[in-house]
Amino acid sequence: MNRKSMRTLLVLSAIAMAMVVSPAVVSYPTGIQGVKDSGCNCHGATTSSEVVPSITGLPDQYNYSESYEIVVSFVGGPASPTNSNQGGFNLWVSDGELSPSDATVQSYNPNEVSHTEAGNDQTSWTLTWTSPSSDRNVEFILHANSVNGNADGANGGSSGDMWNKLTAKVSPPVLVLEEADPFVVLSTLIVVSAILLAFTLAYVFYRTNPESFTWDYFAPWIADWLTTTDHKKVGTLYFVAGLFFLGVGGIMAMMIRIQLAVPGNDFLTQDQYNQFFTLHGTTMIFLAAMPLINGFANWMVPLQIGAPDLALPRLNAMSFWLQPVGALLIFTGVFSGSGADTGWTGYAPYVVSETAHMGTTMWVAGQIMLVASSTLTGINFLTTIAVMRAPGMGWLQMPLFTWSILIANLMLFLSIPAFGIGLIQVYLDRVIGTAFYDVSAGGDPLLWSHLFWYFGHPEVYVVIVPAFGVISEVIATSARRSIFGYRSMVYAMAGIGVVSFIVYGHHMFTSGMSPTLRFVTMLTTMLVAVPTGIKIFNWLKTMHGGSLVYRTHTLWTLGFLVTFTLGGISGMFFPSIAMDLHLHESYFVVAHFHYVLVGGTVFGFYAAIYYWFPKMSGRMLDEKLGVLHFLVGFISYNALFWPMHRLGVWGMARRHHTYFVTTEEAMGALPIEAAGWNMFISVSAFIFFFSNFIMVANMIKTLIRGEKAPPDPWGGWSFEWMTASPPPTPSFDPHNLPVLTDANEHIANEPGTLSKLFNRLMVSEEDTEEVTH
Amino acid sequence: MISFFVSVFTFTWLYHHSFWYRSEDADDYNNPDEIAVGVFPKHNDDMRLEVAWTIAPFILIVWLTYVSWVPLDAVWSETGEDGYHGEECEEGQSSNNQLDDYGVVTSECYHVIEITGKQWVWAFDCLDLSTELCDTGSDNIEVYGTVPLLSLKTGETYLANMRSEDVTHAPWFLGMGVKEDTLYGAQIGPSEYNWPTTLWLPISDIVDDQIILCTEYCGDAHSVMAGKLVVHQ
Repeated sequence: MNRKSMRTLLVLSAIAMAMVVSPAVVSYPTGIQGVKDSGCNCHGATTSSEVVPSITGLPDQYNYSESYEIVVSFVGGPASPTNSNQGGFNLWVSDGELSPSDATVQSYNPNEVSHTEAGNDQTSWTLTWTSPSSDRNVEFILHANSVNGNADGANGGSSGDMWNKLTAKVSPPVLVLEEADPFVVLSTLIVVSAILLAFTLAYVFYRTNPESFTWDYFAPWIADWLTTTDHKKVGTLYFVAGLFFLGVGGIMAMMIRIQLAVPGNDFLTQDQYNQFFTLHGTTMIFLAAMPLINGFANWMVPLQIGAPDLALPRLNAMSFWLQPVGALLIFTGVFSGSGADTGWTGYAPYVVSETAHMGTTMWVAGQIMLVASSTLTGINFLTTIAVMRAPGMGWLQMPLFTWSILIANLMLFLSIPAFGIGLIQVYLDRVIGTAFYDVSAGGDPLLWSHLFWYFGHPEVYVVIVPAFGVISEVIATSARRSIFGYRSMVYAMAGIGVVSFIVYGHHMFTSGMSPTLRFVTMLTTMLVAVPTGIKIFNWLKTMHGGSLVYRTHTLWTLGFLVTFTLGGISGMFFPSIAMDLHLHESYFVVAHFHYVLVGGTVFGFYAAIYYWFPKMSGRMLDEKLGVLHFLVGFISYNALFWPMHRLGVWGMARRHHTYFVTTEEAMGALPIEAAGWNMFISVSAFIFFFSNFIMVANMIKTLIRGEKAPPDPWGGWSFEWMTASPPPTPSFDPHNLPVLTDANEHIANEPGTLSKLFNRLMVSEEDTEEVTH
Repeated sequence: MISFFVSVFTFTWLYHHSFWYRSEDADDYNNPDEIAVGVFPKHNDDMRLEVAWTIAPFILIVWLTYVSWVPLDAVWSETGEDGYHGEECEEGQSSNNQLDDYGVVTSECYHVIEITGKQWVWAFDCLDLSTELCDTGSDNIEVYGTVPLLSLKTGETYLANMRSEDVTHAPWFLGMGVKEDTLYGAQIGPSEYNWPTTLWLPISDIVDDQIILCTEYCGDAHSVMAGKLVVHQ
């Protein structure tokens, strides 16, 4: 690429960035959340330096639980002893308790006091502050206003009022660090992760050729990555983006767990907590799980079917680049302090109500881009798999991972338009005032739920089915058998694909939807257990008579079988509606879907990482670190999510920023043991979070000095193991495609049991003979 | 119970195979399925086994559906003769509800109350019931602050008509294990599709004082949108 087009690219990306960022700047809220932030806006909107407030009587350092008499006063402004009223004040304190000393002061709550009607005609007030019993950095915010006493309109009326703000700080007996704003923590961690990623990138570039570590070489190298259409490079981009957002989603999960570690915690406010769980869900599903899956699909599908590349490589690059832009949009709201707070499900009418944050609009816009991305990906994979299979490969000779991607994309392709339509309706409702979800104008509050779950339920299978594919590949290769019941595996996956469209009502058992429809989806939901059961039993039978080679990917696969089975069994409690009425929206649900999404999808893709990393990078991962990762990860994972089942049954609701336990003094929703379990969960969560860095370290270590990988390190049969590690570009020579042979050729034409049965039913052998004669 | 058997069965199989078929020495393996790169391996299947574990789970879910049916009928009971709770009580008539061995409550008649959700507080309305049957008020729970209180009588059965004034909410009667969404719009307009959602509250003698939480996300103060159910004799 020459210098000129490079410059154009830079300018374009700068414009794109500006377009993404500018709405955030415009929508930056003034932060008005009460008197402590906005001041006495009833007395004029701006501050005035003529008014000088002061607080006397505060110590520099307080003693625990001591009462201090403090005097709040001001000078300046229009106040004068001859006025009927002189002024007022509002004092807010972050910790401890404020209480009035006389009738001129009233208390709103322990943190906030103000003057009374009787205290309106003076310029100083006396009150008492009781310091906290623990170490806190205490902040006081005082607003004082000076008035001319002519609220009736004379002499400029209340517009002659002036006010000013004063903040004061008091230190605790033992100095403690300032409490951080969770948003600052989140943004810092994201920025730090991004910088680390950039350093890793620079280092990887350095390692490729230490001699040419200059900008002149770096620019074309990075430009190649930014403009590539090679399925392997796009796959790597997806993979890196997916891992990055897995980390970001993980950071948010950790902050949620800090908040829930003890009852009644205040690390996150309700408002912040609502944004955190919304973005945790959206990030993990759309920005972590889907890109990780697409990363492997991009890498492996063309290799497995013996195609040189995907059918539509440029479309593929576009599908990817929509994702980071969509991600920026989704996060825009957070950086302005007002991110989406609707839950990943974004239920109407809340999502279009005025109480939902402004960031919701950007969150919806970002998801519309992801919908576009997924649709294009769907088109691409369906086309590729349909027309670019190597000679000799029929539909029923495709590797199971390719089958899983085919079925997942088919499901996505058929379901995501409903979601796209819903999002566009919400977007229009929010920005130009249409009334799709405005109930008072005749909108239907349940329409969104239907559209969302029509997509949402197939979506959760879209992220689990590719993991089924991975597990099928890994378990067969590790057991050194061919997969048991290949055809029933394919039919079972297809069965899950079909059933997924008629079960979504089980998310709406408490919604007021027609009871008949709820009952029907109860039946269909139960049905999902059948194909899933077939798959689990087939995997187990595959090991029978095999010779299981224990590698890290084998361990993750066995781990998957345990956790996914548990997740599947806990899932069987929900279709029973009477049970669901208790469990709906409780922590039992949280436990269930983390068992299937983390224990299923994430474990499946960890297996995929350990299985295919040598093929992708040409380096063998360190087995010892891999086993360590598995042991720490698997144990802490179960310690993290298993107790949530119990919490859910006890009555811990999801999406609640805190919870309360019953003590001798007060009645809470949960028994007292719940506090201990939550702390246990939070500790396990941190161990699980950090265990994943073992894998990242392993990958970096291996990339630098790993053992070189042979073309087929594990003994798999499909085409990807035929190419070099890493594979060349194009992956296969288009003029010399590989040809698949079939070990079953000699029996391929013999009728199976079913065909024999049909033959016997339809035409007798004598008749056939007669016809031939 | 069934879950327990299914998991014991599956996991025993998993652990047995994981260790029994462990590779001892990679070299003396005879490769029964002729696995080689670029060759679709030999089929490894058994129609009878596969059909068996298609039919077994199927029978299991048919049975599960059957056992889920009875409590479902009870929690979504119709009103009138076909239902579990008869017609609405006459003035002064008592529900006299009975709890059977399966945990199902039946009553002679029921009383109607109303529950309204709004951001972020519950409102209970006894309609025209006497204070002996139903009472409302407020209570101070230390951790939740002042919450609305609903006081119902043991032995009586209530049907709550539920409404919302803004977005979707759902009261979760923690101790009774029931919840249902309150829908905004379900009371607007004369359309046949708009009906308020309802919730049966049979106060049998095992029902105790309990917290009511909101379990359909409704915005800022969702988590502290609580209420309290008190039962009196």
